[in-house]
Amino acid sequence: MKSKVRPQKGWMWLTLLPLYVFTLLFVLGPLVYMVVLSFLTREEVWGVRLDFTLENYANIFEPVYLRTFWESLKLAFLSTGLVVAIGYPFGYFMAKLTARWKKRVTLFLMIPFWTSSLLRLYGWIIIFRAGGIFDRLLMALHITSEPLKLLYTYPAVVVGMVYALLPFMIFSVYSSAEKLDFSLVEAARDLGASPLKAFLTVSLKLTLPGLFSGLVLTFVPSMGLFFIADILGGNKVVLVGSLIQEQLMKARNWPFAAALSIALLLLTTVFLWLSRRLSKESS
Amino acid sequence: MKKILSLLLALLLALSLASCGSAPAKGELVLFTWEAMFPQEVLDGFTEETGIAVNYANFDYDETMLAKLEAAEGGDYDVVIADDYIIEMVIAEGLAQKLDTAKLEHYGSINPAYQGQFFDPDDQYTVPYGAGVQTIVYDPNAVGMEITGYADLWDPSLKDSVGIIDSGRVINGMALKVLGESYNTGDLEAIRRAGEKLGELAPNIRLIKDDNLQDDLLSGEIGAAVMYTSQVTMALLANPELKVVYPKEGVGFGVMANFIPVNAPHPEAAYQFIDYILRPEVSAQCYEFLGYYCTNKDADALIAEEMRGYLTMPESFADDPGREMIGNIPAEALEEHEKVWTRFKSACGA
Repeated sequence: MKSKVRPQKGWMWLTLLPLYVFTLLFVLGPLVYMVVLSFLTREEVWGVRLDFTLENYANIFEPVYLRTFWESLKLAFLSTGLVVAIGYPFGYFMAKLTARWKKRVTLFLMIPFWTSSLLRLYGWIIIFRAGGIFDRLLMALHITSEPLKLLYTYPAVVVGMVYALLPFMIFSVYSSAEKLDFSLVEAARDLGASPLKAFLTVSLKLTLPGLFSGLVLTFVPSMGLFFIADILGGNKVVLVGSLIQEQLMKARNWPFAAALSIALLLLTTVFLWLSRRLSKESS
Repeated sequence: MKKILSLLLALLLALSLASCGSAPAKGELVLFTWEAMFPQEVLDGFTEETGIAVNYANFDYDETMLAKLEAAEGGDYDVVIADDYIIEMVIAEGLAQKLDTAKLEHYGSINPAYQGQFFDPDDQYTVPYGAGVQTIVYDPNAVGMEITGYADLWDPSLKDSVGIIDSGRVINGMALKVLGESYNTGDLEAIRRAGEKLGELAPNIRLIKDDNLQDDLLSGEIGAAVMYTSQVTMALLANPELKVVYPKEGVGFGVMANFIPVNAPHPEAAYQFIDYILRPEVSAQCYEFLGYYCTNKDADALIAEEMRGYLTMPESFADDPGREMIGNIPAEALEEHEKVWTRFKSACGA
């Protein structure tokens, strides 16, 4: 509500009021509640006591809990890296398709979103499980002779993560590659640039905003997608998200869960800030 | 014009909702428990007989139940069914009311083996509804050894082929039992030692999961599993060749029970409902559906023959000296358990 949006009609801001109230109440409210909670002490059995403590934050630095942050970061970097490697070329070449094929490819990418992501994960279980589709395929092709143990492994988790996040990268890159004027690339080639140089100096630079927004759209959620690790990894990869859930629902240590959430929030904020700095510098 | 229309629509919606509230039935009962705790016929049968409509409200975790019950100050719900340990907290918070057992005609049908437990030592507040033990189930065709207790799960031949439920207290407790300690020990040193012992089990663990663990045993993904009674029942019904082991170190067991919140809006309906599900023939129907041990001794004989063996307490269970309920422990001990459990889970993935 800057002065700019307060022209002659003085009552217009009223129409926006519900939005502000909603945001304050349901976004800022829980956040404040969580910050406060993270400094309180747990009761012996149930609930919290109004005693200020930094213990919950200190607890995060226990090696076993610190490790969950490391695991989350590792998985996030690995999956984001793979998503870039697959999604960037996909989105880039998608922009070069004819209008008709663009529509078709977009549709194919969208169809899976019509069902719940949980259901799609169960689909992966059917593919990966012992004697499942993938196993039978490999055996039919005589590549393997007996069922492999594919499900509940780290690679299965990575596949699930990449699968869930890939469309966000593709669409981000696609939307900025579509705006790219390919005659600029041709001009660079005409002026003697090698294909690689033309790509690096023209195409990549001009699609960087898409790549960065794709990075934000994949990296940030990948820090929190713990249910993929739970379902496809058999709960053996403990991420911050699963730890928060465990502390909240099973261990009844709400203040610690709140402190973990705040730490995760700060960590993602740092990465968001970094990526904004980087994307500003590059433009 | 549009505004008026939407206002009218909102009004209409409000009116229809209001009319929904005052149902035609003679009364209402708000039942608060997990999903799928009763077969629909039992709920319908109750409504048909008493004219009381059952409003079935779900929770996913015991902890959610207590949080909601606390927010409602012991009101809103008429009958709650939850786990033993949380009921102990509910009673301590003063959120359950003392039962007038004279109002329960079939009170005598309760199997006394499940009464007088830690969460309600004098049976003043609760009526049990199903019990479970954590048992080992294995496929003798997939496992090349005989398993008789928890300690056997450490055998190197079971590498990467054991599935366990996602409950720190149960699994850490398993290691405690192997070391000859109690599930409920408050000795931090003992819990740490159990953690070290568990570390050696990690290479054998293929899967940690709470929901439908039996599926992975049936599909051959795992050869042996530590699971809940309802899962054991489902696994056995699908494959009777599976072997069930009551670990020789002593089993841990839990009881689910009914209680009436202190400010229940319809306490009379609550008594009627609890008494209804205590009727042996209704009980039998419930346990066949639920898959947990029947806590109603008069219902045991009425359970369908092919399931009776799975749903009644094994005889060895009654005189097992190592048998223990998993109860509440001091926060300090619980936090140590959490550390041990998180470390163990990460070790399984490494």
